[in-house]
Amino acid sequence: MHSYRERLLRFLLTRSMNFADAEDALQDTLISAFRYIGSYDPRWRFSTWLYRIAIRNAAKARTSDVVPFSEVCDEDSDPLLQCIADAETENLWVSARRLLNDEVFAAMWLRYAEDMSVNDIASALDRSASWTKVNLMRGRRVLDEEMNRAVSESEAYG
Amino acid sequence: MDKLTRRLRDDADNIQVVVSDELDRRITASLHAVEPLPERAVRPGPSASFWWASTIAGVAAAAALVAVVNWRAPAPVPVETGQAVDLVAVVPDIDWKVESAMLTSPLQKELDDLQADLKKAEEKVKQDIGF
Repeated sequence: MHSYRERLLRFLLTRSMNFADAEDALQDTLISAFRYIGSYDPRWRFSTWLYRIAIRNAAKARTSDVVPFSEVCDEDSDPLLQCIADAETENLWVSARRLLNDEVFAAMWLRYAEDMSVNDIASALDRSASWTKVNLMRGRRVLDEEMNRAVSESEAYG
Repeated sequence: MDKLTRRLRDDADNIQVVVSDELDRRITASLHAVEPLPERAVRPGPSASFWWASTIAGVAAAAALVAVVNWRAPAPVPVETGQAVDLVAVVPDIDWKVESAMLTSPLQKELDDLQADLKKAEEKVKQDIGF
């Protein structure tokens, strides 16, 4: 499980209001996984199972936070922004967090950051494969538009 | 790999996260403090035999229901029907020839007219050739 720590923390960081919450969620995820290791079904990939627990923990932590990220996080306190290396363009995952809902964001993350299959994502999110496909397509369309908009804006301003 | 996919991967890689030693120690200590729960048998998915068993059970239940309903229903009261009716005798004798004659008479007239025209034409031709 040691090798998953950084990957899980990176994901949980995108779903948390501060670094401490992300670390707590990581700790809870690993404890839950260790405690319930007996119920792990080897037909699933281990990472799928871990992410399923992590998503549940992140959702549990977020139920009290009804305020959207864009209204709370400023650049100084946002843990995600603090971990992003300086780049010429805005990190697309920051836009994704602003534009997509929690589940679609998680589906996009698992697909493009973790390279999971649609079936694994559906299992991790406890959704159907068709729901996952449709929402991945929607997420892609939204982010594609955002990427093109950002590019045209940067070209307009030189 | 398309542009968006590449960009999402690159941007995910740009989120640089390090699990601090303190967090690592904390997690390790927590893991030592908990015991894994005893292994729970993973429930196998429904097999083909399960579906067969449920189908057979469903059919048997339906048959039992039909049997019970029929058993409880009152026996049919015998009805005096008298002598059997000879259907052939009851059916009225239709004069099919009249109907066929009605239907074919215009055609017959047409045929007669054509034959008369043909005969006239034949006679005319004979006259013309001086036969």
